[in-house]
Amino acid sequence: MSHKVRAALEVLETQLNQPLLTALEVCARCGLCAESCHYYLADPIPENVPAARGEALRRFSREQRDPLAAWFPAWIRAEPLTDESLESLAEMAFSRCTLCRRCTFNCPMGVDTPLLMSTVRAMASAAGVAPEMLVMLADAAIEKGRDPETYLPYFLESIHDMELELRRLTGRPTASIPVRRKGSRVLYVALAGAHTILPAAAIFETAGEDWTLSIFEAANYAVFLSDLPKAKAIARRIVDEAHELGVEEIVVSECGHAYHALRWSAPNWFGEEFPFRVRSIVEVIDDYILHGRLGSLDPTANPEPITYHDSCNLGRNGGVIEEPRRILNAVAADFREMAPNREASYCCGGGSGLVALPEYDEIRRKAGKPKVDQIRRTGADWVAAACENCRLQLTDLSQAYETGTRVTAIADLVVRAMRLPGAAQDDSLPVTMAAATLDR
Amino acid sequence: MPPLWMFQAGALAALGIAAVAFYRQLRRLRQLPALSDVAPAKGDPRRGVLYALTLGMAPWSKESTRLHPVSYGRGIAFHVGIFSGLLVLAASPWLGRLPASLVLAATALTGLGAVLGAVGLAVRILDPNLRRLSTPDDLASVALVSLFLASAVSALLAPAALPGFYLVAIALLLYAPRSKIRHCLYFAFSRIQFGRFVGRRGVLPHPGRRVASP
Repeated sequence: MSHKVRAALEVLETQLNQPLLTALEVCARCGLCAESCHYYLADPIPENVPAARGEALRRFSREQRDPLAAWFPAWIRAEPLTDESLESLAEMAFSRCTLCRRCTFNCPMGVDTPLLMSTVRAMASAAGVAPEMLVMLADAAIEKGRDPETYLPYFLESIHDMELELRRLTGRPTASIPVRRKGSRVLYVALAGAHTILPAAAIFETAGEDWTLSIFEAANYAVFLSDLPKAKAIARRIVDEAHELGVEEIVVSECGHAYHALRWSAPNWFGEEFPFRVRSIVEVIDDYILHGRLGSLDPTANPEPITYHDSCNLGRNGGVIEEPRRILNAVAADFREMAPNREASYCCGGGSGLVALPEYDEIRRKAGKPKVDQIRRTGADWVAAACENCRLQLTDLSQAYETGTRVTAIADLVVRAMRLPGAAQDDSLPVTMAAATLDR
Repeated sequence: MPPLWMFQAGALAALGIAAVAFYRQLRRLRQLPALSDVAPAKGDPRRGVLYALTLGMAPWSKESTRLHPVSYGRGIAFHVGIFSGLLVLAASPWLGRLPASLVLAATALTGLGAVLGAVGLAVRILDPNLRRLSTPDDLASVALVSLFLASAVSALLAPAALPGFYLVAIALLLYAPRSKIRHCLYFAFSRIQFGRFVGRRGVLPHPGRRVASP
């Protein structure tokens, strides 16, 4: 047995808990899950049936755990894990499953196939066969967390430039973007780039929020690797910062996996109930609108037909489902639902790190076809998504399938509906540079 | 031919062996770490579990079962047949004393289960997806259960078939814990885990029932 295989099997053994054993044992292989998967819809081959993906792991698991494997391996399809099969298993888990959990919702048993695929990703990470790009991005975030002071001057400089833009946008000469300010009520954790900072800053400013900006990015690429020590290290930076600043709330930018990691996973990773709550900015905006803190919103500022794509991490797996809809109904004149939507929405195909992996571009674009068809059926010109990876994928799909659909974050639509004095007058343009680009 | 009580004793022994094997699997599952979730709930996990074990299993609640009502119905009827067949096994020493209406109902349910089990086996062989997914154990399990149901019907209709019914039951009880049939043990766990997940996160049951953020 090679070192890689041993490392992978150790992960399978150490991660074995009640949900994992249940997911390994409960599948009846009825195949009802097939059409619930966007990969299968785009390419209806047996390998794309979610149960087949589960079986890909089960056969190695059976070889380890099932007494029949010693005598009748073919009878139960048990196979020893080899270097080659590990590579192919890893490639499947990273390229042909976005961990969207739509199959689980559609399974009569509730088989958690994404849990199995996360386990495979963890095995691949431990064995060193996970995609290098994700490993690099996760390591870079950890490195930055070790010595944030090195990066701070550059960060503050770029924030200073953004402040000027914020003042122009809001027409308020005192508007500011406070960074790491102690005693603030809210710690806002953005992504890299002004497009997730400026609209949020304009919203916080208008709502009169007592907020401060985190010096760290919300993105946590180790989550995609299912590399728990690294994922914890990346999340720890933000949790520690929140503790240090004494905030009441962490507000996460429009990013599905970052929200999921901090809101639902981090408390369990660290085994602690945080003294602050964690919300998506979408939930916070919804709250502001509900309490009239954004003043009078003008839906005619967003006159074109717009639809909403439910990010799997926010919606089906995160429970942020009605909030974006309430916002869009308040800020857009013609909001149209896709069908199916909410927890039944199709994954866009870009999740779980796939948009960061150019080697799987072709598979990713193909798997996005059901989403393209959904969007087309709405007749919408714009599609809003509260997740950066979804926006990247939707923008790419729009180009690849030549749909002409434009992609936007929710915060941009809100800012436009706020009719700020410095906002762009041309309604066809995003209020800031928020339209997603494919710059990686 | 050995006396009937020997077949019955054999079935009882097989039942005991199956019970011990299932108990050991259950104990192993319970010994593994459960998921403790300390993230503040957005919804009610108990409502999620209730949903997962009731309306969440209704044919209209999932796209997959809406798309495949025949497969879903076949699966349900097959499993109803299994329960009926097990009841027939439990009542087998007193079959002659059962009311005719009960025998008729059991015959119908078990017989339908047997037929649909055989149909399911054929579908597994003919459908490309299911053929690819199915292990030899899957096919053998469905075949054995269908045979068990067919022999139960035979025993209901003709007491002379009882020894054969017991022999099939013994084979089934001994094979079940080591086969795909053991998925029955994990079913409730899986649904409860799913229910906790969707309930706690405020995803299901549906909007209107959702509570505000903590």
